[in-house]
Amino acid sequence: MCSISKENVFDAISTVIDPEVGFNLVEMGLIYDAIIDESCNVKVIMTLSTQGCPLHQMIKQWVFEAVERIEDVGTIEVEVVWEPAWNISMADDNVKEALGGM
Amino acid sequence: MTPISRDFAPPLKLIAPFFRFGVIFYLLAMLALLFFEPTFNYQQMNVAGWVHLFLLGFVMMVIFGAMAQLIPVVLEVGHVVVDVYYIILPLLGVGTTIMILGFWFMPALLPYGGLLVLVAMLIFAFENLATLKKTDIRTLTVKTVAWSNGYLLLGILTGFAIALGLTGDLGIDVSLMLKAHVYAVIGGYVVLTIIGLSLILIPMFSLAHGFEEKAINMAFKLVITGVGVVFIGALIAQEWLMMIGYTINTVGLFFYMWQIYIIAKLTVRKELDVWAKSMIFAFAMLTLSIILGLLYFVTGVESVLHASVWFILLGFVSSFITGHLYKIVPFLVWFERFAPLVGKEKVPMLHEMYSKEGAKMMFNFTVAGVIFGGFGLLFESDMLFKAGGSFLFTGAIFLYVTMKKMLSYGE
Repeated sequence: MCSISKENVFDAISTVIDPEVGFNLVEMGLIYDAIIDESCNVKVIMTLSTQGCPLHQMIKQWVFEAVERIEDVGTIEVEVVWEPAWNISMADDNVKEALGGM
Repeated sequence: MTPISRDFAPPLKLIAPFFRFGVIFYLLAMLALLFFEPTFNYQQMNVAGWVHLFLLGFVMMVIFGAMAQLIPVVLEVGHVVVDVYYIILPLLGVGTTIMILGFWFMPALLPYGGLLVLVAMLIFAFENLATLKKTDIRTLTVKTVAWSNGYLLLGILTGFAIALGLTGDLGIDVSLMLKAHVYAVIGGYVVLTIIGLSLILIPMFSLAHGFEEKAINMAFKLVITGVGVVFIGALIAQEWLMMIGYTINTVGLFFYMWQIYIIAKLTVRKELDVWAKSMIFAFAMLTLSIILGLLYFVTGVESVLHASVWFILLGFVSSFITGHLYKIVPFLVWFERFAPLVGKEKVPMLHEMYSKEGAKMMFNFTVAGVIFGGFGLLFESDMLFKAGGSFLFTGAIFLYVTMKKMLSYGE
């Protein structure tokens, strides 16, 4: 039985900050899901705020490294999806307020 | 894990000099404005010299540097031979300098400077086209890269023919070739490239999503057709054909602006930083330029055309580029010097990497300069034009200083 929860994964990823907007990926609403199996293998499903993002692979790498720091984690997979497309309604209220979306 | 995108990204030491020299050429161009009068003929050699200083030294230099970075992002493949940019920079810089000296002091130098610029642009265009062949992606931006490089080649060849014509080495009608050259380079390369990049950069920095792209697709088709029609019309000396081309292009620009309006409506970031203010000003100036362009076709008053060209070059193109420099340069510096430290130590945010005050001064002086200078040309007022030149030069100093600080941040 794996002791890693979805919350642990989201907490780990919340240390990754988008340098352009200054918010972490979780509060931006960019992390859609984290699937953890019994062997503690983790699959993160996420998106990016724009498809042409020059940091695409690098952000994936940071997410990978953040999850890697969780104790007893197994294999890690980070998948970037474009459906559903990200929009500001997916972000936390503090992000919406700061960006002027509220 | 998939290899990170650093594999495709050119190093900062390759790209930074394009921005550094581009800004120096911009500073020189604004300084040179102080020695010009608001009444002139576009065929005057000193005016041609200034236009090349601005377009080759600043606009092309910065676009080449930006494309070195953006092409791998847009095409999702690395450059075929990224090291050619180490050759392009000195060829373009030295070639431009020799050309300007030729225009201003010694016309015999023109073919030599022109040849260096020709080689630089041929290398750039062929490297871009070779990189394009590596990918199957065919987005609108990719298509604009292909078409704009095609027009760049035509623009270079006609420009070189003009250089030979001016020194008497080639028997051509320089005035007709000049129109074809200007249109291929400004309409076919600069404007088309800006249209393509707008679709990537503006939604990226404004966080706009979920918009239709019909308008920009239409703009793209109309602009490539219009530029082609004007180019052919100029070569075969058919004024009516050129008029059709101008009309198609004007409609194309309306569609482009309609697309920008659609994106602006969906903008999430409401913060008015130097980039956002520059974009608002750039598109206001594009609108003003189109209005004045239409007015010129009705009235035929030469000063209205001069003001229209001024507002599109210094108001639209220049503000579009300088606004983006405050986003792209911090990103490049951050990517090179701070990205490897993420997760290990505190790294700066991009907006912390430039002086807000310096950027604000650059923007305010530039806006004042563009407006005063443009109206100076429109009303042929030496006082207004000189005031505009002074404000623009002051704005350029702030641009240079803030750029220098951005590039040395974290060294």
